Formats: sequence, C-alpha cells, structure tokens
Amino acid sequence: MATTYTTTDARPPDSRTEALRALLNRRYRFLDRKWDIVFWATAVFVVAAAADITKLLFAGDWDFWTDWKDRQWWPIITPFAVIIIPSALQYIQWLAWRMPTGATYTALCLAVASWIGRIVQWDWFAGFPLNFVWPVSIIAAAIWLDWVLLKTKSMVLTSLIGGFGFALILWFANYITLAPFLQPMEWMGLPMTVADVQGIEYVRAQTPEYLRMIEHGSLRTFLGETQYVSLAFGGTLAVAGYWIGQAIARGLAIWPIGRYIKKF
Amino acid sequence: MRRILSRLFVVPAIALAVLLLAPAPSANAHGETAQEAFLRMGTVSFWDVKFSATEVEQGEQLKVTGTAKILETWPEQLGEPELGFIGVVAPGPVVIIKERKINGAPAPHAIEVHKGGVYNFEITIAGRRPGRWHVHPIFGIHGAGSLLGPGQYIEVKESGKAFTNPVKLASGQVVDLEKVGMGDVAFWAVVWLVVGLVWLLYWIVPKRTVARLPVTSQIPLNTDGMEYGLITKRDHKAMNVIMAVTLVLLAGGWIYQARAYPEKMPQQVLRFEPEPVAMTPSFVQAKATEVRYDDATHTVTMIVDVKNTGTRPATLQGFTTTTLTFPTAGVAEPVDGRSMTVSPSPTVAPGQATKLTLTISDHVWREERLIPIGESRMQITGVLRFKDDAGAENFVTVQSFITSLSA
Ligand SMILES: [Cu+2]
Repeated sequence: MATTYTTTDARPPDSRTEALRALLNRRYRFLDRKWDIVFWATAVFVVAAAADITKLLFAGDWDFWTDWKDRQWWPIITPFAVIIIPSALQYIQWLAWRMPTGATYTALCLAVASWIGRIVQWDWFAGFPLNFVWPVSIIAAAIWLDWVLLKTKSMVLTSLIGGFGFALILWFANYITLAPFLQPMEWMGLPMTVADVQGIEYVRAQTPEYLRMIEHGSLRTFLGETQYVSLAFGGTLAVAGYWIGQAIARGLAIWPIGRYIKKF
Repeated sequence: MRRILSRLFVVPAIALAVLLLAPAPSANAHGETAQEAFLRMGTVSFWDVKFSATEVEQGEQLKVTGTAKILETWPEQLGEPELGFIGVVAPGPVVIIKERKINGAPAPHAIEVHKGGVYNFEITIAGRRPGRWHVHPIFGIHGAGSLLGPGQYIEVKESGKAFTNPVKLASGQVVDLEKVGMGDVAFWAVVWLVVGLVWLLYWIVPKRTVARLPVTSQIPLNTDGMEYGLITKRDHKAMNVIMAVTLVLLAGGWIYQARAYPEKMPQQVLRFEPEPVAMTPSFVQAKATEVRYDDATHTVTMIVDVKNTGTRPATLQGFTTTTLTFPTAGVAEPVDGRSMTVSPSPTVAPGQATKLTLTISDHVWREERLIPIGESRMQITGVLRFKDDAGAENFVTVQSFITSLSA
C-alpha cells in the first residue's frame, strides 16, 4: 500500500507539517502587523505607476479616447498591455505570502492611478470631458486571474486559462460601459457613433484622425466576425503578456536581487 | 527572509525609473518655428484665412475659412502626401468643432490628398472654455506632421450657465455630449472597485502578511499550503462566492446594456477624396530665378520671370509663405503691417514677358526663423497671387535657392 505517499485529511501530520503549522502561527517580536501595513501601502504607488505606464506604453490612445475603443484593435492591444504587471505581482504575492491577490491588487492600484490621471491631467488640466477619456477597468478580469491561480495553483495553467479569460472578461466588462458611446447619430448628415462625434468635436490636435488605429475594413473577412477573431487573438496575446509579467517578476525582480544580496 | 523582502522592491524600483523617464504629454505646443524653414515654406500654403468673429460666448459659433494648398514643391524626403486632416489647433478642447466642410463637402475625418491639391475649408467652431485662446487652422499630413495656418486670438466669454453640448441621437433622443454615458462609466468603476476591495481585504485584513514568509519560503510554488493553514477551505469558498458575484455582475451588465442601448454600431471611418475645386484657367506663368537675403536690413529680394499668357492685364497681388502674406504695396492693404514692393510694376500686360523684382523688408524673416541659414537646404518657397482686371485669380508656386546671402 502506498498510503504514506498520498495526502488525505485523515492522515496524521508529519513532523515537518507540524513545524510549519507552528511557524505560521508563531508570534514575532518585531515582525508585526505594522510591517504588513507598510508593505501593502507603500507598494500602492509603485505598482500603480508600473501598471499605468505599461498600459500607456502599449495601449495609450486606445485607453485615452472612446473613438479608439473599436472592435478590432482595442480587444487585442489592451489585454496584452494590462496583464503584464498583474502577472508579475501575482507571482510575487503568491510566492511570498501565498495569497491570490497580485492581479486584483494591481487592478485596484491601476484604477486609482488611472482615475486620478484622467480627472487631474485630462479633465482639469487639458479640459477634456471625462466621458471621452475614461480608462478601462481591469478589476473583474484581475479577479478572474487571481481566482484561476487559487484554483489551479499553477502559473502555467493560470497563463493559459486565466490569460485567455482575462482578455474576454476585460472586453465584456468594458463593452458594458462603452455601449452608450456606440449609439448611432448623425454628424453633418453622416451616420456615425457618439464616440466618433466626441473624437471630431473635442479638438485633439496632437492626434489627427488619420492616426486613429481602428477597424477600417479589409478585403479579408472572417465571415464578418471581426469581433471574435480579435478576442481570440487578444486572448493569445494576453497569454504572452502574462509570461512577460512572469519574466519581469522572476528575472528582473527576484533573480538579480538574490545575487546582489549574496555578495554581502 | 530579509533576502526575499528586499527582492520585493525591485519591480517597484524599475517602475519608478520608467515613470521618471517617460515623456509627459504636452497639451499646448504650436511650436511652428521649431520646424525647418524650407519644410514650412515648401509643404502647405494657406491663404485667405478668415475668422468670422474674434469674440464669442460659450456655445456660440464662429467660422474659420480659407484655402490650403499642398504645394507642388512638397519635399521628396517627406514621402508622397496621401492622407490629410484639416482641423484647428488650440490649447486643448477650448473650442469644439461643430461642422467641417472641405471643398463644399462634409468632412468629418481625414481626406485623401495629393501634391498640388487645393482645399477650401470651412470649419464651424463653438466656444467651450472661457479664456483667450490662440487658434490656428492646421493641415496634418500623414507621415509628415502638422502644418499650421495663420493663427488668431479668440476670446471665449463666460455665458453664465454651465456649458452643454446637446446632440441628437438617431433614436431622436437629445443628449449632452459632455456627459452622455458617464453615469454608466462611473457606476461600473465604483462597482468593480468595491468587488476588488472585498477580494483584497478578505486576504490582507484578517491574515498576517509578512509573517507568512518563513512558511512560504519552505514550500513549493505549486501548492496553496492548505496543510499548513496558509490557504483554507473557507478561503476557497469565499473566493468562489466573489468570483460568482463577478460573473453575475458581468451578465447583468451585459443584459442591461443590450436593453438600454439596443442600437449600436462600430466606430466609423469616413474618408474620401474631395472634389477638386474649380480653378481659373491659367493666365500667368512665373518662375523665381534669384533670391537674395541681406541680414542687415532683413530684406529678401526675389527676381521672378513673369509671362502673362492671358488676354487681360494681370497684377501681382502679393506673396504668401507659411502663415505669412505680404500684399503688394499700392495694390492691396498691408496685412499685420506687412507688405512688399514690386518693381518696375506689379501689372503685366497681356502677352508680355518681364522680370519683376520683389522686395520684402521685414523682421519676421528672423523672428520666425524663415531664412534657412544653417540648414541643409537654403531655399525659399511661396505662392504668388495674380489677379486680372476681371477679377480672375491665379496662384503660382515659386521656389528658388538663395543665390546670395549677406550676413
Ligand atoms: Cu498659436
């Protein structure tokens, strides 16, 4: 019988398990809740900045303007741009505290940073109406990513199942808020969406319309289902983005510091 | 222990470095004089630019009209002009564009353009933010950048009531473009923030964080550490509930948007090639043969071979380059105090071929860095405007290397 190799609740804990259990509940003299607060609070700023900058770098205009949030490019570019840092934080927080919180934590930091940016820089300073420049919310997608990690306990499975679902949920959640901007109207007698009209009316000299990368139509059709092709492609890119995040966490954050510290 | 703690600060450090290096977006950069002179002069020329008013209330409209031409002298290193966008530039959306016609047709988006193309634009703008704003027409050419037309200060006065921008949807409903959809966006931003916070606080409030490290550092990555009490069955159940709530909210949101906004369509791209404007048949030919610049007197002297091929006497009205127009002294009124003298006479008789000397003494050559001293192409380009005695007009592009320079 191989009972000694299987883990069941009925099996009495071995000495190592006992030791680790005790270690988890051990009281430390200097390592108290104060340090927990310091960690969670100070990381907010850097995580928010990292997530916001990554988004800006890869998906800037798609996230800035409603008339860029199209059905071809937006669902492809955005998940890739916004999964990188959640993935990195997910690795770090899972590794260090065994908490499935990294993606959600990043998403919340990003939400706060994006909204402060849009309100202060874009609305107050540049004067754009907020309903033209609102940021996407990645929280629902991040909860999914953390949940998948909790269930699978595997970064590989999380990258595949979580990454793909991340792209889908991201689009679903944000399409709900984009819907009013896709209502048809006329501008000078020509049919277009509310979002298009925002893009035309609110003077945006640094971004002439010809720079707008949205669906233009092409001779190639995938049975006319641009949306589903884009979502599938976006899901695949999100998986790739997830591994870039893992590389950042494992390669840039964990490995070099380990080497650095060994020197002392 | 200490090692892993310190590791946690590297990602933030990298992020901070990226933040500090990232360029800040600039909201107000007209920067016309930053472009090289020969590019500004040889690419697009604006003429007859007019603002129908210089003072409007918030919401009140005014028209910016004029003509822009992509010159035949378009520099080859910029690539062929194919897509263009005529708009206005201002310090942000201080004005809104309510209508735009190019060569008589509604032009919401970019237009297909070509070298030598002439575009009459009529842009209706409305004041939005109170203040005194410098507004220019602007011609953006894909791949080359944006070229400014002559600017004008517009005073937008407070209307006393909150600014609104009512527009009519296809459904007939009238909405304020400044606010439409914002309720949905804000509602969902708050909903997701709350759900996300519940998820996060569930973990970080009741559980210790840093004290878990001595245990996590001793177990493999692919485990939830249930046997040590790191993650419990109760944790799993609670997270399942939040995940389910998230999916229910998504489904509910989806049903809501489908009912509230049943009519939707993808963003549109409305591009076209404007009908060519009807141009007067050519009655005059002109070619610049010599350009001299004397820095001491800020004087440009241009020798132009002119031939009147028409049947009526034609008079040189002025010279336009970049955003500047120099009307012929004695023929047209100076613009902003600027003019040029033409000798021996600005009027050329039918059939006559002659050499005209155009003299423009103006500090603006220096101030706007229009004389391309120190640049790789010492060239001057502009448009000569001729008018015959029946009122027909010809616009002729002239270009010449600077043949003599005295500093
Ligand atoms: Cu200006």
